[in-house]
Amino acid sequence: MRTLNIFKWAIAIIFIVMMAMVYRIFNPIHSVFFPKCPFLLLTGLKCPGCGSQRAIHYLLNFDILKAINENVLLVLSIPYLLAGIVFESLLLPSDKMLKWRKRLFGQRAIIVIIVIVMVFWIFRNITMNNMIFIIL
Amino acid sequence: MENFNNQKPPKSWLVESILVTLFCCLPFGIAGIVNASRVESRFYAGDIEGANRASAEAKKWTMVSFFIGIAIAIIYFILVIAGVASAFKIAGAANAYT
Repeated sequence: MRTLNIFKWAIAIIFIVMMAMVYRIFNPIHSVFFPKCPFLLLTGLKCPGCGSQRAIHYLLNFDILKAINENVLLVLSIPYLLAGIVFESLLLPSDKMLKWRKRLFGQRAIIVIIVIVMVFWIFRNITMNNMIFIIL
Repeated sequence: MENFNNQKPPKSWLVESILVTLFCCLPFGIAGIVNASRVESRFYAGDIEGANRASAEAKKWTMVSFFIGIAIAIIYFILVIAGVASAFKIAGAANAYT
């Protein structure tokens, strides 16, 4: 059982490293092999996740500005998601940690996330592509 | 009366739901996030049973979204490979006559 678990994790890590290498070397914008967003193909509108693959490519090449320009939500969500994984992996959290967990990942926080995703979804379809650079 | 503030809520699948929302382009990710919010609200209202149900629901939507995303990526990849192969075939046939 234990060796099976280690085996599973080893395969997962090898897969993630391979994907990271592919995404670091190839820019999804210059290659046809990366899947396109079905929502964008069907409606012509961007979904909240559009640009994530390009953003990952730029992040893996340490070009944070270009990554932000492709999908600012993805870049901002990375530290939050990492914190979420840490909180989720705590088996017996202390009272203090539980309080922080409720503050950061509780119901109110989730409602804020839904609002941010919706606003981003609408906003990115009614503004220009490189709008973030105008603000910066 | 139990003090629920000292316990950890059931897994809300929030991180996984956000990830599938960003990478799968699917509204199912939003369904997962909404259910994650239900896990939290029900747990802290003392409804442990309801929180567990919302957790199972959140897991279901995250999984649906994840596998649809993977399926779309694989189908897309196969179609591109088929397209490239047939393009080479056409090019090869054209070269044979020149």
